[in-house]
Amino acid sequence: MSERFLSEEDLDLAELTWEELLAWWDLWLHQAQSTNELDEHLYSHGVFRVEPGWKLGPEGVRRATYPSRE
Amino acid sequence: MTVYLELTREFNAGALRAVICSGQAAVLHRLAIASKDGDWILREEPAALAHVLGVLARHGARYRFGAPLDVRWMAAGWSAHLEFRRAGLRVRTDFFTRPPRIHPNELAQMWSEQEGRDPPFTSERILAEMKMTDREKDYPFIGELARRMKDPRDRLLYSRSADDLIELARRDQELVRELAARRPLLERIGAGRRALAEAIQLEMLDLMERDARRLAAYREASSAWAELWPSLARELEDLSLPEAHERMTERAWERLPREVRA
Repeated sequence: MSERFLSEEDLDLAELTWEELLAWWDLWLHQAQSTNELDEHLYSHGVFRVEPGWKLGPEGVRRATYPSRE
Repeated sequence: MTVYLELTREFNAGALRAVICSGQAAVLHRLAIASKDGDWILREEPAALAHVLGVLARHGARYRFGAPLDVRWMAAGWSAHLEFRRAGLRVRTDFFTRPPRIHPNELAQMWSEQEGRDPPFTSERILAEMKMTDREKDYPFIGELARRMKDPRDRLLYSRSADDLIELARRDQELVRELAARRPLLERIGAGRRALAEAIQLEMLDLMERDARRLAAYREASSAWAELWPSLARELEDLSLPEAHERMTERAWERLPREVRA
């Protein structure tokens, strides 16, 4: 049974020089913009998880629907 | 240099006001690059928050749904969230002054230790506490952080490896007995590797549920604020950030409690 918590690629960060780390980090941030639409209404830190009017479920985020008022 | 390090320097121009935490701190600990957003622990002082807001105004930031960046709400554990665009990047900035699970003494020590550091970022211990969230994906970070902690006491309190805990216990049984009151699963070390691994998983579930209850309390406390937000967000669109901040603060006074029992 393996007790490794993170991937080899992650742990390789320790081997990078400071300049290499900055370059890789910046490149990663730019590449990660491709998922902006998926997390547009979500929060990754703090006490909120999703913007008002949106709901987070197992299948991802979707517009919240409210029961009709009759 | 990444935008989050540049922002950190701007936030701290002339004085230490902001310490990088969570995802970007994990990069600085060279654990993993896994978060697109930046988050900071700020000094709970009006002047510090005003300085940070001024920096964000110069970048053209706007508020997302959240608390105003104001000590009256930050002191209640709320978080403030702002966002701007720069050179193809969506830059999200998240702030709090009282991160969850961090004792005031630990926070005071952090401000003292990070003075003069560039970049300032949270210690392994604070980062581990902040990663005790309601999301399972955060727990591998704690496991790896524990392996980097120098003090055996911290490693016993945060390790998520049965093998590591058994080895630590072999070296100092007395310390294990002392810390078991704070971390009950340490009493399972003698029960064998499988029993200990199960206890580690159960502990994670307990921690996740505890954090989910905390977030539920904030969700409940912000329900009136959330109801107002869509119309308020439209009002804020045409305002500068200082004006938007003032409007948000006025509106939050009646709708967002300045005390939350979480």
